[in-house]
Amino acid sequence: MKNFRYTLLTAFVLGLMLTSNPAKAQLTDGVFPAAGTPANPKVEATWNHYYNYQGISELTERIAKAYPDLAKRTSIGKSYEGKDIWMLTVSNFKNGNPDRKPAIYIDGNIHSNEIQGTEMAMYTAWYLTESFGDVKFITELLNDKTFYIVPTINPDAREHYMTQPNTGSSPRSGLKPIDDDGDGLVDEDQPDDLDGNGSITQMRRKNPRGNYRVHPTYPNMMVRVPDDEFGDYELLGSEGIDNDNDGRINEDRVGYYDPNRDWGWNWQPNHIQGGAHKYPFSLPETRSVMDFVMKRPNIAAAQSYHNSGGMILRGPGVAEDISTYNRQDVRVYDAIGEMGERLIPGYRYLVVYDDLYDVFGGELDWFYGVRGVFTYSNELWTSYEMFQSNDRNATDSYEFNKHLLFGDAMVEWKSYNHPQYGEIEIGGFEKNFGRAHPGFLLEQGAHRNMAFTIYHAYHTPKLTIDEVSEKNLGGGLREITAVVTNSRLMPTHASIDVNNNIMPPDIISLEGATVEAGMIVNNRDLNQTTEQKNRPARIEVANIPGMSSVTVRWIVSGGSNYTVKVDSQKGGIVSKKK
Amino acid sequence: MNLSVKILGVIVLTGVLFNPIQSKAQNDSNYSSYSEITKKMKALNSANKSITKLESVAKTKGGKDVWVLTIGSGDLKNHPAIAVIGGSKASHVLGTELTLRFAEQLLSTADSDSTKTLLASTTFYVFPQINPDASTQHFANLKYERDGNTTSTDADRDGFFDEDGFEDLDGNNIITMMRVEDKTGDWMPYADDPRVMVKADTDKGEKGSYKMFTEGSDNDKDGKFNEDGAGGVNINQNFSFDFPYFKAGSSENPVSENETRGVLDFLFEEARNTFAVISFGPENNLSSPLKFNRGAASKRVVSGWLSDDINVNEMVSELYNEKTNLGKAPSGDPQEGDLFQWAYYHYGRYSFSTPGWWTPEVNGEDGKARKFSNDHAKHLAWAEVENQDVFTDWTSIQHPDFPNQKVEVGGFKPFTMMTPPAVILDSLAQSHTNFILDIANKKPSVQLINFKSENAGKNLTRISVDVYNEGSFPTASQLGQRNNWVRRVITQIKMDKNMNLISGDVQSFDRSIAADGSVTKTWLIQGSGKVIIRSGSPMTGFSTKEQTIK
Repeated sequence: MKNFRYTLLTAFVLGLMLTSNPAKAQLTDGVFPAAGTPANPKVEATWNHYYNYQGISELTERIAKAYPDLAKRTSIGKSYEGKDIWMLTVSNFKNGNPDRKPAIYIDGNIHSNEIQGTEMAMYTAWYLTESFGDVKFITELLNDKTFYIVPTINPDAREHYMTQPNTGSSPRSGLKPIDDDGDGLVDEDQPDDLDGNGSITQMRRKNPRGNYRVHPTYPNMMVRVPDDEFGDYELLGSEGIDNDNDGRINEDRVGYYDPNRDWGWNWQPNHIQGGAHKYPFSLPETRSVMDFVMKRPNIAAAQSYHNSGGMILRGPGVAEDISTYNRQDVRVYDAIGEMGERLIPGYRYLVVYDDLYDVFGGELDWFYGVRGVFTYSNELWTSYEMFQSNDRNATDSYEFNKHLLFGDAMVEWKSYNHPQYGEIEIGGFEKNFGRAHPGFLLEQGAHRNMAFTIYHAYHTPKLTIDEVSEKNLGGGLREITAVVTNSRLMPTHASIDVNNNIMPPDIISLEGATVEAGMIVNNRDLNQTTEQKNRPARIEVANIPGMSSVTVRWIVSGGSNYTVKVDSQKGGIVSKKK
Repeated sequence: MNLSVKILGVIVLTGVLFNPIQSKAQNDSNYSSYSEITKKMKALNSANKSITKLESVAKTKGGKDVWVLTIGSGDLKNHPAIAVIGGSKASHVLGTELTLRFAEQLLSTADSDSTKTLLASTTFYVFPQINPDASTQHFANLKYERDGNTTSTDADRDGFFDEDGFEDLDGNNIITMMRVEDKTGDWMPYADDPRVMVKADTDKGEKGSYKMFTEGSDNDKDGKFNEDGAGGVNINQNFSFDFPYFKAGSSENPVSENETRGVLDFLFEEARNTFAVISFGPENNLSSPLKFNRGAASKRVVSGWLSDDINVNEMVSELYNEKTNLGKAPSGDPQEGDLFQWAYYHYGRYSFSTPGWWTPEVNGEDGKARKFSNDHAKHLAWAEVENQDVFTDWTSIQHPDFPNQKVEVGGFKPFTMMTPPAVILDSLAQSHTNFILDIANKKPSVQLINFKSENAGKNLTRISVDVYNEGSFPTASQLGQRNNWVRRVITQIKMDKNMNLISGDVQSFDRSIAADGSVTKTWLIQGSGKVIIRSGSPMTGFSTKEQTIK
């Protein structure tokens, strides 16, 4: 009997061993992994809905609690209404100080209605922490780099978008009250949710002299009639009434100012740049981001999520700023941007002032202009994603809503008695359609955009000390030559940085030897060098370009156990002992 | 023995009597230090509690307050206001003094009828010193012209902070210049007055023989002298218009300092009724008005005053010269990131600036003003006539950084070029006060006049009124009209409940009403009862007209 049980046990264990492979797929609790997705995440999270402020606070806290060696949650400041602006610092804390590693900064939702950047940012934090240790690439990535992830930088108005009646394009602003029309009252005539469904939709009125009629296939769609015909309806604009009886409707909504016109590079006042507030960083949220970024010179890359349009944008924001972006930097931008087009089908890599419209005082331009950070803004969601086709029709949204969302995104036209307009009808797309991703496409969008930011982060500088060689010069002197290589696309200093000394130079130092002289080797073969008279043990190198090396040399008169150390703000710290 | 003592006594006494009480050196006790300014502002406030309010708009990193004294009565936030600001360039202590004395001189007449009337319709926001941490250097033991506040900057952008400041090598408690004999140098003594150093003009065959540095050593051995001292962000370089990124004296971001943000927040949020900003500083558009530059004024990023605003500048410049009689001024060019330009281009209000004083003319033997081709030489000539001690003679020293070269320390004493002898301060302040009050009397002011009411049919009345600007300033500058912070003139009509507005706006806006200009508003009303029309803006004051329609 004992023998039989023993055999059974052995067979069972053997069976288990044969079917289980800890390094790969595992049958656990009813889950079989799909490629590229954390199979059994410690932090359970779903990516087919949006998170409000409470949800963001909870999820970021859970991630930090589950992975204390990989993620730390802090508040970088408070919004106008006093909400914390949460940040997750994601890196392998056991492999070096995260604030001294090349880093990427990611934020979302600067425009309060442009909500999905928050989910993309949180998906990134979740995915990185869940995959560390399981996926070699992610493990190395977090060993080398740091991600500063700020899911939302406009939490007040995000709540407003979600809980108050809004369109897909409002409120955009923050919530600081402003008397927009100068009548002495503040925010007194906001859009009104007349039908009480939570979205601000459209108003139409039957009018035999109108210029719209109903589409034959999609009854909710209003189509403009040809110029020489009359239609059946006129469109009256967004839902609302004249709350303050001044003869205008919805003229003083919350805010209004544009947080993406509050940044301190090429800032212009509101008569040149609509939406500007008082002066750069006069809003608490943008100021908090600026204060944080100024303290982290290791940030070499940045992404600020917006919606919509399917774009990967870089600066300059205005034509007046063309000279700021020089050819070398544009090449780096192009290489990464074009990869983005590949990773996110339907998205186009574009230049703001040239392909979009002029923006003075935008976040993009400040990151590059004042901190020399290679920055993109992705405009999330494009109608391409509905049918994954570049053939577009005006009816696409209505067809998509009918056959893929089953009408969930639409409010049918319903009659209403309006105090100014009389008998009208109210209807249209819900606020969570048109700019925000529909649920079933949100995770895909998050993953693809995350992949782009990972590629971007991957190409922040990576410095290695390739070679340390010694030559005896006789007379008690030795020559030590070190070669430092940057094996990624981004230079340690963008051109604006080099031209204006934004960051200190990279320091390549020799410790543990008596240094008599130090120099930069401009051409090793032809022995062309430039001596650094002052502090020769500590050679200052203006820049280590992407995919290239610099060579330095010391003449020493003593010391045999020396260390070469590289200290670069954006390239990190690396050292090599002899 | 007794006689010798007596004689000695007489000699000593005589010496005391004939020594001028004011020595040749500048008498700093006439310029108010930070604690004196604080004391004086508090005194003005307590002596005039019903018409003044004292606030601190910012605390500097050094713990000092940036004070603003609001002077006015009644609904003062809705009366046209003038902001008077000094010390944006911190070393310009005269500016601070003129601003402070303006408040003192105005309030000394607070009991007079004319001042009472003035303050019931006009508000003044007085900021005497907006960079107190740096202005303090004028009163310190070691004096030099310091414009940077206490925020540490890496002025030479070499990665190190505050590593190379001034040294007082000749021990006279002031920082002047050093000249080093060196054939490769660009400088040479000025022919007409060899104390003055000028750059050699190689086109004329001149050769330089000196290098020039500020007084001190090269602490960090980088070849530059005193290029990164303690502090400091120059507040007059911290504003958002044409901000000079990456330059010495600049912070990394515009409007970064507590001082700047405090002043701007106050001007935007509390002092919306400001129609003009008068500041004291190196810039000058009062001795001569700015010139219209069509190209600069038509660019998208406007960098020249618009033509209507130039006309106003011309009017104000004439007033200034009338009241102050200071004559022709040296060029007072705008500086990048300064308060003067910010006030016009970004704040959208009229902006006027003057240094307040400069080297006066020196008359020759023929009684006519002498011509000088060098400002420094002119100043020395003036100093000689007026018995002013403005210069330290060149004196040799041993300098460790130049072991084998001749080094001399000397040059103009700090502050002298922009700080007049104390004896003229009172009258200088009075003439500037008179100028500011002159501006106040010309302020934009909306009045509802020519009210007409006529019967237009059964139970119908047509009423009209002129919204008239009785000031010599338009209700908004031509540039300011485009900006949302500059309020338009609103005209509102309220009627009794039983009345009906048949035609006309219940509320209308006018971007600007010209000086001595007007706009007519009309309404067609059904019914009878009381009608209240109210018109104006915080920058023009409000005017109300009540009428009963029968």
